[in-house]
Amino acid sequence: MDYQWDFSAVVTYWPVLLVGLKNTIILAAVCLVLGLFFGLFVGAARYSSNRLVNWPATAFVEVFRNTPVLVQIMWFYFAFPIISPIEVNAFTAATLGLTLNTVAFSSEIYRAGIQSISKGQWEAAKALGMTYTEQMRRIILPQAIRRMVPAFTNRAVELVKMTSLASVIAYGELMHQAKTISIIAFNPIEMYTSVAIIFFVLIAPLSLLVQRLEMKKRKSS
Amino acid sequence: MGYEWDFSVVFGNFDLLLLGLVNTLKVTGLALFFGIPLGLVLALMRLYGNKALRWPAGFIIEFLRSTPPIAQLFWFFFALPILLGVEIDPFSASVLTFSLQSSAFFAEVFRGGIQSIDNGQWEAAKAIGMTRNATLQRIILPQAVKRMIPAFLERAIELMKTTTLVSTISYSDLLYQANTIAQSSYRTLEVYTTAAAMYFVVILACSLLVGRLEHRLGRSGEITRG
Amino acid sequence: METNQNTEVLCLEGLKKSFGDLLVLDNIDLRVTKGETIVILGASGSGKSTMLRCVNFMEVPSGGRIILHGEQVGKENQNGSRTYDEKSLSDLRSRVGMVFQHFNLFPHMTVKQNVMEGPRTVLKCDQAECERRAKLYLDKVGLGWKADAWPSELSGGQQQRVAIARALAMEPDIMLFDEATSALDPELVGEVLETMKQLAEEGMTMLIVTHELGFAYTVADRVLFLSKGKILEQGAPEAVLINPKEEATKNFLRGHGSFRLPEPNLD
Ligand SMILES: Nc1ncnc2c1ncn2[C@@H]1O[C@H](COP(=O)(O)OP(=O)(O)O)[C@@H](O)[C@H]1O
Ligand SMILES: [Mg+2]
Repeated sequence: MDYQWDFSAVVTYWPVLLVGLKNTIILAAVCLVLGLFFGLFVGAARYSSNRLVNWPATAFVEVFRNTPVLVQIMWFYFAFPIISPIEVNAFTAATLGLTLNTVAFSSEIYRAGIQSISKGQWEAAKALGMTYTEQMRRIILPQAIRRMVPAFTNRAVELVKMTSLASVIAYGELMHQAKTISIIAFNPIEMYTSVAIIFFVLIAPLSLLVQRLEMKKRKSS
Repeated sequence: MGYEWDFSVVFGNFDLLLLGLVNTLKVTGLALFFGIPLGLVLALMRLYGNKALRWPAGFIIEFLRSTPPIAQLFWFFFALPILLGVEIDPFSASVLTFSLQSSAFFAEVFRGGIQSIDNGQWEAAKAIGMTRNATLQRIILPQAVKRMIPAFLERAIELMKTTTLVSTISYSDLLYQANTIAQSSYRTLEVYTTAAAMYFVVILACSLLVGRLEHRLGRSGEITRG
Repeated sequence: METNQNTEVLCLEGLKKSFGDLLVLDNIDLRVTKGETIVILGASGSGKSTMLRCVNFMEVPSGGRIILHGEQVGKENQNGSRTYDEKSLSDLRSRVGMVFQHFNLFPHMTVKQNVMEGPRTVLKCDQAECERRAKLYLDKVGLGWKADAWPSELSGGQQQRVAIARALAMEPDIMLFDEATSALDPELVGEVLETMKQLAEEGMTMLIVTHELGFAYTVADRVLFLSKGKILEQGAPEAVLINPKEEATKNFLRGHGSFRLPEPNLD
């Protein structure tokens, strides 16, 4: 292998990559916040004993968990605009796909977390005269959320990785910028190597955090 | 909504979609075929290797788990051929990428499974004079693998979903076929919805199978997560 | 008469073991002759398990010598320390049987396969020999009829007897028992002790850690009392259990109030 590595274009186009990095972070952050927020409601809906509430929620979760996220993004970008009342650009399509995907997965985390709290906690709260919402908000969720932290962090890791899929519909995140530069500067090796390293630096700390948290959880249980 | 649904182009090209699905399964199957043994090797290196094995194995696993699969795929498809001076076709690049990518995840499943076996099993085998290799082969792995089956299947499902990326380097999997048909027919809504439905059916079937297994193994208390 | 040299199965000389700064075994000297049954007593944390585990190198001793049948284990380095390769340790362990508190049967193998595993994998016996040993030793512990059962189908006492058969199938020179009955329900303790007693009567050389003082009294040839990693007191069961000299031994025996001497023989 006598290939001459040359990272000069990476330096030259650094501002372009930086824009990509910024967009990656924005997309991930928006989808994470929205996903975790709405995930709680979908999770609660799945927990409900009312079929009119719990069936649609279940159907939603199963559809988004059992189809590839790239297909979801493509669907929102190419298919959805046809029936959509609003304009759908790449950012909107990516946000829709990734958010709904995160909603589906995080609703399961909420559900599992809540179910892991023993019945006795509900009963003790009820015995104090708390309403269902109070039991949930003051007694169950505070305990459950602590247990959910590793799973949520893991979701964040997956989400950051998934944002790279938005490059397929030409949203200017990191991967897309790298692809563009690599074509202009004829340096796919350096470009894709750099972008892999940037992602690694972005994600590895989160990954390690997940492992730490899980180890701690295993030890305490 | 005044949109008129028309699935005729889907029906007319259904054989192409099916072919795509077969290709999806082909890449998935091959990646599993290479990824699982490779994952075992990485796990054993990480668990029992000396420093010269443990560190690289750990780094490879973490790197593959902490970078987006699309970045890996592009690297193997666009960068590696130049580096090696050989051509790599989309199919080979896909199998290569997903074998390596999944091996990292399988390594973690193996590690979790092996570590979940009670230390007393090691001790009992040691006490009758079994070597570490013999213990692994005859005592630990047979028990661990059984517990890992659901986690394996879960990873396999994730893998199948991830292989949709091969469409971006023009390997004709299900999503690629859908792209092609959609672009030539302008019936994007019907085509993408059908493709999504096909993925849904296959993946849901697998998920249900995993659920079943988990339930059965869970009842006999023999389950670990990866 | 055979000389002492020929009948000595195991010899510990100045055995030391520490975990980091914690000295757990402090200069243990012990000679075990063929057919001898030695019971080791001591408070929790006194080093009983560690002592047994050093004998078959489940723990590598920090100092001292372990001599099995006149041979010292491991190779001596220039600076006097010793190295132990996997082969020689495997060889040693195949000649020392060990039974644990938590039976540790292999759950994915039947009772018979459990017993045959050592002869097959370690001793490389042929199928017929493995079968012969499985039958012989399962019959000896009274479980020949359970040969094709799975460990999970057995009671704790039965599982422990299978674990004993598994160790015996290696035809070891010496057997180590580390609280073999501590994890059992009280009503299952008897069958395991009975099996151990029978082995003692047949002349097996045994080192037994137990809290069953009645068993120690009737079966042991010698009782050791371990305290803070040292052998504080040793001798015939009557001497150590009935007339202990050391304060620590007395305290320990007081803590085991349920120990009652066997009924006097009046006929
Ligand atoms: N693997 C180990 N690492 C560190 N300390 C240990 C280890 N095994 C035993 N010890 C310590 O050695 C001492 C003796 O333990 P052990 O031999 O198990 O005592 P016993 O069996 O008499 O209860 C205890 O203080 C214990 O904490
Ligand atoms: Mg002990």
